[in-house]
Amino acid sequence: MNAPATFESFYLFDGEKKITIEKDTKVQNAAIFTVNKEDHTLANMLRAQLLKDPNVIFAGYKIPHPLEHKFILRVQTTPESNPSEALSNAITDLISEMSLLEERFKDALKEKQESAFD
Amino acid sequence: MAAEKIFLYNNTSLVQDEVLAHRLGLIPIRADPRLFEYRPEGQDRPEVEQNANSGDTIEFALKIKCKRNPKAAKDCTDPDELYINRNVYSKHLKWLPIGEQPKLFEKHGGIRPVHEDILIAKLGVGQEIELKMHCVKGVGKDHAKWSPVATATYRMLPEITLLRPIMGEQAHRLQKCFAPGVIEVVEENGEPTAKVVNPRLDTANREIFRHDDLKEIVKMGRVRNHFLFSVESTGCLPPQELVTEALLVLKNKCRVLIREIEENWLKSS
Repeated sequence: MNAPATFESFYLFDGEKKITIEKDTKVQNAAIFTVNKEDHTLANMLRAQLLKDPNVIFAGYKIPHPLEHKFILRVQTTPESNPSEALSNAITDLISEMSLLEERFKDALKEKQESAFD
Repeated sequence: MAAEKIFLYNNTSLVQDEVLAHRLGLIPIRADPRLFEYRPEGQDRPEVEQNANSGDTIEFALKIKCKRNPKAAKDCTDPDELYINRNVYSKHLKWLPIGEQPKLFEKHGGIRPVHEDILIAKLGVGQEIELKMHCVKGVGKDHAKWSPVATATYRMLPEITLLRPIMGEQAHRLQKCFAPGVIEVVEENGEPTAKVVNPRLDTANREIFRHDDLKEIVKMGRVRNHFLFSVESTGCLPPQELVTEALLVLKNKCRVLIREIEENWLKSS
């Protein structure tokens, strides 16, 4: 009866931005990214990849309320880099890693199909 | 692709309209969703619905009536013999091609449900169902009927370590504790010794702990970076394509995000 529509978990409303950035005033080189209409699928991936970056001092995410579909990601870097750059690099790395996985999967499939013909 | 809007013209069966519509929505349709587009928004008004676009909708019709079978024997009691069309199966759904769909799909043999023998409803004599349904493209996140994946699970590769070489009668007992194929007893220096040959087949049953002498010698664990995924499809796409599509979905999420970042904040914070 009170259930919200299921498409609300991934459909952006009018005027809602996908991602907003706020600088953290308490420390240097830190920013909080708010991403709308996303869940742990993306947030955990980004956080894990950010932690692999040597320039990143802090990376963590939380979902403020399970009924609101958004997450906030806090990133703090060394002065050599800045949070936006770290995040962009992390996303680019993730895209290339997934392309690699796709390629390896296709190669393994081809191998399997060829060995089935023998 | 799954049924979203059902246009009921006649339903005198014992299955309620909404229950019938729910069941029809859950029937998997054998159609590659990548060949279709999402329906544009604002197209939910009834008069627009009737004009389905060939690029985003698949139309099916179901028209069936249950009659008494005149050829049945006098003393027959089997209901399948006595009546015609007593059971409404998914094979009774007839595809009504729209626009250019016949050309596009004739090499696939037309569009039809994945399984022919899904029981939709049961009819009594004189009851009939007449309806048209429109199938559109959607995501599993919206409603499970649109998910092309049946079950997807993963586990980590099991790891069995023998802390001491196990020989003789103990080796044979050890082999029985695990699933067949995991442990092999080979002749080494004249003594039958147990060797872990295929840990992948292990089912992590705890049979080994019932043997006091063996439970100290065997260490069971998981390899933390080796995952075994199992993906089952509902039938519209083969499972290997599901994995590829899933990776594409993840990539698109990343691409959308990076585009937004670069459009609004040009890396200068």
